[in-house]
Amino acid sequence: MKNTFTQSMAWLHTWSGLIFGWLLFAIFVTGTLAVFDKELNHWMQPEIPASQVSQADAAGRAIAYLQAHEPQAANWGISLPSERSPGLRVSTGERRHAGGVQLDPNTGEVVEVRDSVGGNFFFRFHFTLDLPRNWGIFVVGALALVMLAALVTGIVVHKKIFKEFFTFRPNKGQRSWLDFHNASAVLLLPFHLMITYTGLVIFMLIYIPAGVDALFAGDARAYFKAQGNTRLEQPRGLARQPAALVDVAPLLAQAEARLGPLGGLNIRNPNTAAARIEIRPALGNRIALAKGQAMVFDGISGQLLSDVPEWRAAPLTQRVMVGLHFAQFGGYPMRWLYFICGLVSCLMIASGLVLFCVKRGRKYANASADASARRWYRLAEVCNVGFVSGLLLACVGLLWASRLLPVELLQRESWEVRVFFGAWLLGLLHAGIRPARQAWVEQLLLTALLCIGLGVFGGLEDAMRLGVVACALVLGVLLGLVAWRISQTQPEALKATAGRQMEAEA
Amino acid sequence: MTRSPAWLQILSRSSAALLGGYALSYAASACLARILPLAATDAVIVATLPAFLFYTAAILWAFACRDALRAWALLALAAPLSLIGFWPQVLEWLA
Repeated sequence: MKNTFTQSMAWLHTWSGLIFGWLLFAIFVTGTLAVFDKELNHWMQPEIPASQVSQADAAGRAIAYLQAHEPQAANWGISLPSERSPGLRVSTGERRHAGGVQLDPNTGEVVEVRDSVGGNFFFRFHFTLDLPRNWGIFVVGALALVMLAALVTGIVVHKKIFKEFFTFRPNKGQRSWLDFHNASAVLLLPFHLMITYTGLVIFMLIYIPAGVDALFAGDARAYFKAQGNTRLEQPRGLARQPAALVDVAPLLAQAEARLGPLGGLNIRNPNTAAARIEIRPALGNRIALAKGQAMVFDGISGQLLSDVPEWRAAPLTQRVMVGLHFAQFGGYPMRWLYFICGLVSCLMIASGLVLFCVKRGRKYANASADASARRWYRLAEVCNVGFVSGLLLACVGLLWASRLLPVELLQRESWEVRVFFGAWLLGLLHAGIRPARQAWVEQLLLTALLCIGLGVFGGLEDAMRLGVVACALVLGVLLGLVAWRISQTQPEALKATAGRQMEAEA
Repeated sequence: MTRSPAWLQILSRSSAALLGGYALSYAASACLARILPLAATDAVIVATLPAFLFYTAAILWAFACRDALRAWALLALAAPLSLIGFWPQVLEWLA
């Protein structure tokens, strides 16, 4: 676009960063929050009790409940309580996430739990932007590609990349924003590249099915069959023949010895001669993501019918890359590391967006600039406020909505989502009618207060809920400091003169 | 040399980056999957993992090359690659 290679790369970095940075910021923020999705689920559904019950006892209570209420169902799904998700959920549909009943793992009695999108909303938004799933993953995939291109062009335009490790000059306006953008990018460059690339790898065969098209004539089912991902044949006829289920406790012990901590189990055709028990591991027992894996037992004899497969090198490589993105391994220390790295990614994107405006503010914000240029500049400014602080407001707004909306509200979950998007829209509108500096301060301050205030809902005797509230408190205080700092800075014109004076004096 | 307006150049380069880049990474993956000496299932994965490297490189090329027309060279590059990738299908179609 411009004359030299570096110039054209800088142009691409600036403009793709600005136009796609607004949505990328939303993807990175919700992705960072999704690191603690289960914890947020637990906070947003305060009815679920904490429990210290063994998984075998919980499974026994779940099966007793299902025997009493759903003996004829074709499939029983049971999500076992674990360290991060203390609830015990049973369901009878094919899909694990559809409906279901929460039981108290201590007693096996039904717990009335409010409907809430929970932290799962952030997870889903992170890879679909709440669009229909198939549209969403393509839009987010395209944005991830832009992120990758922005990272590479960012590296290309910086000649002194090593020096920027150690460079931060605070209180110098544009200079400081640039330094911060560079430092946050360079310090965690491996993380930014890893998280972006592995994000693309998750759905790579949906994005680019070239290999399947070329070698399997586009037949995805043939491909998965060749991978060995086939379900066991269901025994025919036996499904009508009643039979007594085997005790699951020894099977759970056997599976746990083989797989590590467990996530849950499915019992297909329970109470018939065709019964099958599928036991799945928790996701984080190893780096490679174990999604879709299960040990299958005969439901009557308790015999092991199919073990989890050993992955060959190529599928294992993909699984490990996907696992690196899902961040389920390594327990809480790893989760915190991902959370903090994710926050730095968010800050890098936000500072890049702000830098765009700071750099051009002096040129376009005064009355002498041409009217259409001023309008475009104003649009960038409004979107910056609305997509950065407005989104943060929407995220904390969702947490408040989960506690404040009436429990008996019909379609409560979609109301929560409406609050999220409503708050975001209000953020954009508010940015449109207020001067940029005031809009930043007011929205960040409101977000900070809402974060700090999460403690008023109580539930602090539960360690996981306390963790959510404490983390929100720290983030709220930091956001408050940012808001205070913005309100303290001098207007741009004054600072420019002050800067020149300082240079003259030096 | 006559130059087209800036917005048209940007539009042309962006479409070349998006469509040409997709064509290139699709064709390169298909070609790799065909020529890698691996079992078919492994070849599919190994050939698709680097697809986004090709795509990123293609995006950079579309904006770095000297004029907007050259950006479409990506498509020219994709054609022979996909020919290798889909060679048996091509033969079948010709027969």
